[in-house]
Amino acid sequence: MSDPTDSMVTYVRAALALQGYDFSEERIAEITQQFTRIESIARTILPPEVGADAEPDRGPAAVFRP
Amino acid sequence: MNGAALDIARQIRSGERTAASVLAETCARIEARDAALNCFTARTFERAQREAAAIDARRSRGESLPPLAGVPYAVKNLFDVAGVTTLAGAKVNADNPAAAADAYLVSRMQEAGAVLMGALNMDEHAYGFTCENTHYGATRNPHDLARVSGGSSGGSAAAVAAGIVPVTLGSDTSGSIRVPASFCGVFGLKPTYARLSRSGCFPFVDSLDHVGPFAATVDDLAATYDALQGRDARDHACAQRDIEFVGETPMLPAGTRVGILGGWFQDWAGPAARRAVQMAAAALGATQWCELQSAAFARAAAFVITGAEGGALHREKLKARYDEFEPASRDRLVAGSLIPASWLIQAQRVRKMAHAEALQLFDRFDVLLAAAAPDYAPLIGAETFTINGRTVPTRATLGVLTQPISCIGLPACAAPLWPEPEGINLPVGVQLIAAPWREDLCLAAAAVLERAGVSRVRG
Repeated sequence: MSDPTDSMVTYVRAALALQGYDFSEERIAEITQQFTRIESIARTILPPEVGADAEPDRGPAAVFRP
Repeated sequence: MNGAALDIARQIRSGERTAASVLAETCARIEARDAALNCFTARTFERAQREAAAIDARRSRGESLPPLAGVPYAVKNLFDVAGVTTLAGAKVNADNPAAAADAYLVSRMQEAGAVLMGALNMDEHAYGFTCENTHYGATRNPHDLARVSGGSSGGSAAAVAAGIVPVTLGSDTSGSIRVPASFCGVFGLKPTYARLSRSGCFPFVDSLDHVGPFAATVDDLAATYDALQGRDARDHACAQRDIEFVGETPMLPAGTRVGILGGWFQDWAGPAARRAVQMAAAALGATQWCELQSAAFARAAAFVITGAEGGALHREKLKARYDEFEPASRDRLVAGSLIPASWLIQAQRVRKMAHAEALQLFDRFDVLLAAAAPDYAPLIGAETFTINGRTVPTRATLGVLTQPISCIGLPACAAPLWPEPEGINLPVGVQLIAAPWREDLCLAAAAVLERAGVSRVRG
């Protein structure tokens, strides 16, 4: 089973390269730390099953309408 | 402060004072007080002279004057002001050309007769809750210069709290009006998402950005909010609704049901914030508790949406000019730009789910009450703060109580309270939250607190 930390580092490195960033190892470490925090918060909303009616609004201006 | 906004307008209308004399006094206050606070990043005194002279000329011709005639105000430096470079708190924007025209809300204020004094400090690109800006300095809290003013609209809150100007404008993506209002002890209104036009404002997170006013009294806040309303097709999100005036002295209808938000909103409120909620609940006659079960989800969704949209907005400049970005947030911005699309889409779904749950709460209550910030303003430079046993990063977490509300677009008024345990003379705000488009109820509930003497701005 792969180490989640390794997976995170691998993802951040790949995503940075894909988006055209060119950073030092020190910067990559800082960004990985931030991404890990975002992932820990994002993980809390990935499980809820939501129906099709919860899809974001569509339309000429696809903005949230309260 | 030498009079609240509506008092100033009344005095100018009656001839008791001139707009020019009010302007001169305001310029003197800025000169005297801003060095210690660092609210202003640009002063627009020449423009102010023209605007004040126009008001005095209109009065001398016997014309009726607009509602905010001669009232000095200032705007967060993400609002376009013709002839001034829109910084949005960033060094990378400092070399941009000056704005060619005013932002829509600045033009609304001008139509209302207000006199623009300058642009105000903020967290870079509105990404922060402390207004500690490496490039332009921290804006200090007028009640304790060692503490932050809150952010990202820190300059806007501090300028009102210090009595420099009676009214300011700011923006709120995740709490950037309500958090600094809470820390500085002033009133602030985050209207319903899409109520006020953002055209001519430097964006941060398009699907979450709101704009709104700060003031020293509820009447001033309501009058300014009324002046800002209007249809503007240039902001694609702006709802094309008729203006719904609140008017001066908003009154809470008899029988208004006020619910106290528990759960998430108690878990993240420290002792002073809980005391502020108790005081407000007593003044409003609120005894019923309720929960927004999806508050944690809404906060997480806001966090993901903010990271993804904010990161995407700045991606190209981050690649080319990373070293010139704010050191305290640039790594977060880049990390946000790496968020997978599936997380962002799920966050938008969760947002809609949380919104639906909140609407059900408004079947039982008209106004919801919660703390606006977890605690008093932290000290400048504090990297972390501890709330109810949890230690978390300061800059990213001070909006933990405001984010769930802005995520679902509900209107909320921040009102300042002074819980004063152990003689601490610092404010903590509460949020008065209503159903979409019911800013009138938010303001009326704040007015109840103000009239009861529970909520007030201290000089």
